[in-house]
Amino acid sequence: MNGSDHLTRTDTGALYRELSRSNLPPTGRWYAVAGLLLLVTLWGVGCFVYMMKTGMGVTGLNRPVMWGSLIASFVFWIGLSHSGTLISAILRITNATWRAPILRGAEAMTAFALMVGGLFPLIHIGRNWRFYYMIPYPNSRQLWPNLRSPLMWDAVAINTYLLGSLTFLYFGMIPDLAIARDHATGWRKKFYTVLALGFRGSHNEWRRYHVASTIFAILIIPVAVSVHSIVGWDFAMAKVPGWHSTIFAPYFVTGAIFSGLAGVVLVMAALRKVYRLENALTTVQFENLGKLLCTMSLLWGYFYFAEFLTVWYNRNPEEWEVYRSYGGHFLPLWLSMVVCNFVVPFPLLCMRRVRRSIPALCFVSFLVIVGMYAERFLIVVTSLARRNDPFIWHNYFPSWVEFSILAGALAMFLLLYTIFAKLFPIMAVSDIQERLFQATDRKIGEANVESIAMPHDTGKGGHG
Amino acid sequence: MSGIVVVGLFDAVDPAAAAARALRALPLPEGDITTLSPMALPDGAVCRDPRGIGFPKVTLAGWFVGALAGLALALGTYLLYPLITGGKAIVSVPPTLIITYEVAMLGALAGTVIAGFREMGLCRFRTRLIHDPRIQEGKILLCARVSGDEQAERAMDAMRTAGGVDVRPEEGAL
Repeated sequence: MNGSDHLTRTDTGALYRELSRSNLPPTGRWYAVAGLLLLVTLWGVGCFVYMMKTGMGVTGLNRPVMWGSLIASFVFWIGLSHSGTLISAILRITNATWRAPILRGAEAMTAFALMVGGLFPLIHIGRNWRFYYMIPYPNSRQLWPNLRSPLMWDAVAINTYLLGSLTFLYFGMIPDLAIARDHATGWRKKFYTVLALGFRGSHNEWRRYHVASTIFAILIIPVAVSVHSIVGWDFAMAKVPGWHSTIFAPYFVTGAIFSGLAGVVLVMAALRKVYRLENALTTVQFENLGKLLCTMSLLWGYFYFAEFLTVWYNRNPEEWEVYRSYGGHFLPLWLSMVVCNFVVPFPLLCMRRVRRSIPALCFVSFLVIVGMYAERFLIVVTSLARRNDPFIWHNYFPSWVEFSILAGALAMFLLLYTIFAKLFPIMAVSDIQERLFQATDRKIGEANVESIAMPHDTGKGGHG
Repeated sequence: MSGIVVVGLFDAVDPAAAAARALRALPLPEGDITTLSPMALPDGAVCRDPRGIGFPKVTLAGWFVGALAGLALALGTYLLYPLITGGKAIVSVPPTLIITYEVAMLGALAGTVIAGFREMGLCRFRTRLIHDPRIQEGKILLCARVSGDEQAERAMDAMRTAGGVDVRPEEGAL
């Protein structure tokens, strides 16, 4: 049973204790890590306040590069948020039997990456105190949210996805909150009692919970796809060489899933190591994630080549100048992108040995994260740096203020995740329990194989 | 839906299923027998849920309400501020479709949550509900709503015969 033989159905209490180690009272080391992350977050916030008070001149932004690392980070974080909920939803619908241990961690990653990513446009707008101009409200000053602008589509889509992802995360957690409630004491018991909403595990509740989870999963997939399509359209709608491309929406979605999968691998490996979850997060999960990562690497390579080939053959001077700059000032970034996204990951991930080795898979995932950030940066910056008129061409490098804000954002993401893991069940205990319950060892000839029961819902009048 | 409920703890699915069979033979209606378990049991493994699941209709209704809200938001904004931007028509179809779609999906998600919670019977904080935390140790609590002491006695006998422990009458809602 993939290394989880001892996690049997009749030992549910032991299963919960093993999977909820992250909820144990915080240790000194936990406080040290959380304190460090808080300090870096506060440093980032401080730099943002400094930027707000001093003006955008403290960034490296200058005409014509008016979108820089902050917008690249926005695209990157929104992309990173993709795979969590999306993968979880796809695995739920397809009833993938290996899914259970990665669901919660992946869904939480989506929620926090979205929260962090959604801050970047607000940080970037300059006059940050006027962010409420995006909200439609009656006023007499002719201030109106221009819904014909892709940036407004973005605001609507990201808010829909954030609310949907948070609901998806919370709804999936209800049975585990009920388990936590029945095991907890003190303030945690009250906390889980309120959050579990009185879920008891009755037959009626379970049936409806499964139907609702499936509906959620079905609904969240098109929302996830639309969000990153719209992020792609933020660029594609502009008549800027290098941006104005019909391929951008699917290309962005592919890149988002790719980087999101790499993020899921890294988060899962960290959880496994820190909370000793080796019995739940086995090589099976990592190998399957590796296969998906391999597919996405190939798909990303295909999209990039298709985009490059069209520009190369056409040789439209304005667009070609953008691509030529990849061989000049932006060569290190371009090489990082191609090497880290395709040249190294694809052949490595084709090897079973690499997919089954967690350190190797983490190394490849880290490369993908670096490569995808480089890709986002290249898309945002290069097209502006080589825009139409050669007399205004200008290279861009982020300032220390921008680097500080980026570091603060990363620390904020990690801090939110750390606090979440301390307070909430980070493993989908009830899903794991259900999977163990459905699994039996079966003998075929001389071989012992795992067999999974796939129940049909034979309810008289119900959906199932 | 409260009243006298007879409950019994079972170590495994098979004895619980045998007890449920005996309860149905009493006869108790299908809807008055249920289980509390730490994981979902297939419908029919111990008991059946005779009620249909209606909330997907609310999901659909939520989608339509959301779509109307999105359409109203987009059209209302255009018409309140009829300013031409980017050479686009005042009422532009593609952006309207995008806004309508996003708000429609939000409506569908909200509909699923609200109706799902309602049909699952969650958030009943003031109602005394039947519960036994020992199910988290892998046990199954079989519950049967009964009318009268005689039926309660027969139900408890059936549960004990099938191997149930701590069989007792309780007051509360299922």
